[in-house]
Amino acid sequence: MTVLDLTAVTKEYPGSPPVRALDDVSLSVSEGELLAIVGASGSGKSTLLNIIGTLDRPTSGQVVIEGTPVADLSDAGLAGLRSARIGFVFQQFHLLEAITAVDNVATGLLYQGVRRGRRRALATEALERVGLGHRLGFKPPQLSGGERQRVAIARAIVGDPAIVLADEPTGNLDSHTSTDIVNLLRQLNDDGSTIIVITHDQDLAADLPRRVTLSDGRVVDDDAHLSAFRIPAGEEPAEARGVTS
Amino acid sequence: MKNAANSRSRSHWRSKLLPADAVVTGTHGLRSRKGRTLLTAIGIAIGIASMVAVLGISASSKADLIAEIDKLGTNLLQVQAGSNLFGESAKLPEEAPAMVRRLGPVENASSVSRLDTDVQRNQYLDDNNGLDVLASEPELLDTLDGAMAQGRFLDTGTATLPTVVLGSVAAERLGVRTLDGGPTVQIAGRTFAVIGILEPLPLNPDIDRAVLIGNEAAEDFLGAEVIPTAIYLRAIPELVEDVRSVLPRTANPADPSEVNVSRPSDALEARAQVDENLQNLLLGLGGVALLVGGVGIANVMIISVLERRGEIGLRRALGATRRHIALQFVLESASLATLGGIVGVGLGSAVTYTYARRQDWLVDIPVQALGAGVAGALVLGALAGLYPAIRAARLDPADAVRPA
Repeated sequence: MTVLDLTAVTKEYPGSPPVRALDDVSLSVSEGELLAIVGASGSGKSTLLNIIGTLDRPTSGQVVIEGTPVADLSDAGLAGLRSARIGFVFQQFHLLEAITAVDNVATGLLYQGVRRGRRRALATEALERVGLGHRLGFKPPQLSGGERQRVAIARAIVGDPAIVLADEPTGNLDSHTSTDIVNLLRQLNDDGSTIIVITHDQDLAADLPRRVTLSDGRVVDDDAHLSAFRIPAGEEPAEARGVTS
Repeated sequence: MKNAANSRSRSHWRSKLLPADAVVTGTHGLRSRKGRTLLTAIGIAIGIASMVAVLGISASSKADLIAEIDKLGTNLLQVQAGSNLFGESAKLPEEAPAMVRRLGPVENASSVSRLDTDVQRNQYLDDNNGLDVLASEPELLDTLDGAMAQGRFLDTGTATLPTVVLGSVAAERLGVRTLDGGPTVQIAGRTFAVIGILEPLPLNPDIDRAVLIGNEAAEDFLGAEVIPTAIYLRAIPELVEDVRSVLPRTANPADPSEVNVSRPSDALEARAQVDENLQNLLLGLGGVALLVGGVGIANVMIISVLERRGEIGLRRALGATRRHIALQFVLESASLATLGGIVGVGLGSAVTYTYARRQDWLVDIPVQALGAGVAGALVLGALAGLYPAIRAARLDPADAVRPA
């Protein structure tokens, strides 16, 4: 099943002349995929992240998430969509410093109207999944960088979203910790999460099953066929059949 | 079209923030910046405290005065001979006291007659001491609800003898501080023995300044004609105004207009109202302090919004709507101010209590002022937070999640 479908998406920022950050981008992501959107600074990947994450709207083109055209939704409708269907992981973690790890993760469910007790129970589970079951009551300043990013990842997955969007998830981490985080993302993907990693790091991207390369706002390469083997049997796109090794 | 309608119905994902969570979220910023919270709240606290203290202190002083009035009673009326058409001081008819006593709601009444003479400590002095010599009835003490500082009041026996009772001011001016040694005073060349000194009568300063002798003694020893110049009476409290309205015609049916009726407790009650102007001025100053506090909160909130762009972006990414963000900051601002309000109300009450106790007043802290203090702070805080909250809500989420 397709969870994300971008068709001819263009984004222009006003100015003279207007800056075209995305130019005719089409992209389809199926349930259960793990892909990297990779590109240098200024390639438009941040803009693409904002548009996939519904934090921004395209100038033209269509964004469809789980069959819902985003253009049909109001601002509050988009917020509702984000609360339930999209999980974000940021380079700078964006954790609330004054509250514990478990409460940070629980904020992932705050705007879904889930009661506090249930939020904390789910948050505890999510922290255990990312290997931080022993850090529940720690506040972010007491955690290492890798642990903080794990907390952020737990917050992104706690609501079981359709898409996890990770923006340079290893950008603030050393290489060893980065490897751990990538392995964690792989493991979550194995458990069924659809994960999109936005990065400038070619090495990180090379480790992932599918790479979409952006340059000057255009998709210049998409090795979707190589990841087709990851799609559950019977749902693979027709054109991908026979290409798998 | 069909597709669009279909997908609209599918958009069942709605952001929802439970009320309890809204409150917790709205105080998150305060809990994570305790020092700043406290400093900002102080501004509001000072404003509220000064207003509560102004109201509390004036209420306490008023309560004290009212308690005093209650103790003295508000049912004392005073009938006085006014002046006639030609400006000459009039006299009451001789039978006026009896007529007044006959009124149903009158509990008791006594008259006094001002004698056209003066009183001296001894025969060698001729001071203009401003003291009156009044011929009075033994019941006067009861009617005025007075008490003796020393000695006793006139009775049917002493009223016929050359004896006097001194009002508190009169005793002081005549230099009679004690009854030991049998002090005497001179009235119209005759010696009168002082048999008692009255306690001050707050409702009747005229009696404080008087030397009282019996009616019979006035006639016998001074050859005075005793014609009432004033009648004091106690009426049933509920009917005081009714009695008051019929008193002129009762006391002097021939010339009701020559009679002045007054209620001595009115003067004290008026005193309770006097300082309203000052109170309003002080309240105004408190209001200015409060306003400054409110502006301080607005400032701090604006800074907070700038500092917390990342948090705002995060919350938008987690599914908060613009309303949720605005609500968070309005609640934060309102709880900040409410905290100040609560501290201020406590502080104002403490100041009132301490001040009133030092003045020996009854402590009266108006409950409405406390409620209004906290509620006012809350409203002020919400208003102060409105603009910062709108700014926070308008932040572009895509910008806000980026590092600045």
